[in-house]
Amino acid sequence: MDSRNPTVMDPILEARGVQKWYPNGYHALRGVDLTVHRGEVVVIMGPSGSGKSTFIRTFNALEDFQQGSITIDGLSINEDTRNIEAIRREVGMVFQQFNLFPHLSVLDNLTLAPVLVRKRPKAQVERQALELLERVGIGEQAHKFPGQLSGGQQQRVAIARSLCMEPRLMLFDEPTSALDPEMVQEVLEVMQELAADGMTMVVVTHEVRFARNVASRVVLMAEGEVVEIAPPEQFFTAPSHPRTQQFLQQIG
Amino acid sequence: MPASLYPLSPGPSRWKRLRIALFGSRVDGLISIALGAALVAIAFGLLKWTLFQAQWAVIRANSTLFAVGRYPIEQQWRLWLLTALLAAATGLSWGLLRALPRDQPKGQRWPFNDRLAAGVLVALALAVPLWLQLSLGIQLRWWGITALVLVLRWALARRGSEVPRGIQRLLPLLWPGLYLVGMVLISGGLGLIQVAPSQWGGLLLTLVASSFAILICFPLGLVLALGRRSELPMLRWGSVVYIEFIRGAPLITLLFLGQNILGFLLPGGLAPDRVWRAAWVLTFFAAAYVAEALRSGLAAVPRGQLEAAQSLGMSMPQALVQVVLPQALRVALPAVVGQFITLLQDTTLLSLIGLLDLLGTARAVMANPAFLGKSAEVYLVLAVLFWCCCAALGLGSRALETRLNPSNQARSQR
Repeated sequence: MDSRNPTVMDPILEARGVQKWYPNGYHALRGVDLTVHRGEVVVIMGPSGSGKSTFIRTFNALEDFQQGSITIDGLSINEDTRNIEAIRREVGMVFQQFNLFPHLSVLDNLTLAPVLVRKRPKAQVERQALELLERVGIGEQAHKFPGQLSGGQQQRVAIARSLCMEPRLMLFDEPTSALDPEMVQEVLEVMQELAADGMTMVVVTHEVRFARNVASRVVLMAEGEVVEIAPPEQFFTAPSHPRTQQFLQQIG
Repeated sequence: MPASLYPLSPGPSRWKRLRIALFGSRVDGLISIALGAALVAIAFGLLKWTLFQAQWAVIRANSTLFAVGRYPIEQQWRLWLLTALLAAATGLSWGLLRALPRDQPKGQRWPFNDRLAAGVLVALALAVPLWLQLSLGIQLRWWGITALVLVLRWALARRGSEVPRGIQRLLPLLWPGLYLVGMVLISGGLGLIQVAPSQWGGLLLTLVASSFAILICFPLGLVLALGRRSELPMLRWGSVVYIEFIRGAPLITLLFLGQNILGFLLPGGLAPDRVWRAAWVLTFFAAAYVAEALRSGLAAVPRGQLEAAQSLGMSMPQALVQVVLPQALRVALPAVVGQFITLLQDTTLLSLIGLLDLLGTARAVMANPAFLGKSAEVYLVLAVLFWCCCAALGLGSRALETRLNPSNQARSQR
């Protein structure tokens, strides 16, 4: 089933029959199943309104769901706030709109949560934060404020901010959709390096090249359901489901 | 904006720009001349009246009454001590602000240029006591207090950077501490003779009531604003009902209601004094408005900020305190300070329920047959006093806005 990590079959995320209705009655997720194994990069694609963003946001309880179960690293998502906070500590998330904290410097954006949530000593976190910024290629911007950076730089800071919590799973919710075209590549490169380092990632994106080159498996969602899960070579060249063929034709 | 940043585009000189703005066309020119003439005439008339026609005896004879009302004379040393303490704290804070390397773009105009501010302070301290024809002893006290501010400012500005960081951090705590000390000094207790609030008056009463209301209404308003956005229905509806009820009632009716109803509601000994009843009503009234101002600030923070904070594992209180509130407060600050200024001016309504705040004192003075027909002088002084207090609040707010603006912080760190 998994072409890149055939030996590793250690699930870190298990979603079973997840169903979600929005308060206005809209049935956004109609019984979705997904298993993500450690070290995997799962790319979720699909037309807009297919529920892929909603689905990925249930993984760290930013969206609730009414039926089904989601288990992350042994912890299942339920009403218990402390349980949810424990899950969020281990799951990083990168948003379409970056969502950096504009009132804090880049460095403080990175150190805030580790110091506050993990109670780690500030000096140690700062050292790690500077290393991470170096790694995503913006070490010299550490003392600037988010508003002074380009979109691509901001998104790389956002990735570094999540990494500073040392997560076991990273979620990317359309990380390049809000970027100017010339900045997409720099963010994708950082994500590719992250994948090469063995980070487990779930990525909602429209970037076909990224999915082809980096993904272990590609998921197609449509109308709140998972239509197809396949390794990228099969997904893009010989999709089994007509809905996938239609989607691939549409994105050209 | 320092002009040197844009050496390549000097643009027309300031004089030329002014000329274009005022005399751009024939009609513009006529309007400018007419308005200018009117302004000069008004200023001249006001000056003439102030200097030659007005009789300031009414102010001179009652300056103590305007300042502290009927506060017992033998206890007034406590107020002098408090003023001296406030002066010392001001001097310390002012000096330390100068000493610390905070970005103060050079060439900023008054009041940010603090040499000018010091100059204005000295001029006022010299002129006002003389003009009021205070007795020599009291004049000397005012000069001493001014000197205390300036000497401490000078000393701290010179050596402030040598003060250990721990003490520097503690200095802002001086102010809340001083507020408590001030309350004890004013009202008595802890070994001091009690001075009943009914004996406070004038500027003292106005400042005590308004500062108390400002300090308490802010946290109250914050709770209400958060409550109104809360997902817990009880909290949300409670906040909505409270805010809408208070905003739907005129302050004066609430003040009368407070005077009467608190006496019925609370058993005899527990009902606060008339002055405190009024101060609490002011507080509860202002809290509703502050809550609405803060709510607009909270609404201005994108939802993604809270989500980002939560996705990093922060709890709701942590996310609010560290991420949402700092941004919301910056947006809401001008509106909140506007509310504080309104609150300060609303204290004049205390005179309508028979308390001797500044306006109440003024009405009492004007009712004195010896000063009949001197209301213009009295009201002018009141207006100037209120303007000073409100201007101070406005300046503080603008300084805070500048400090909270991330782009300014960035400049200081680069």
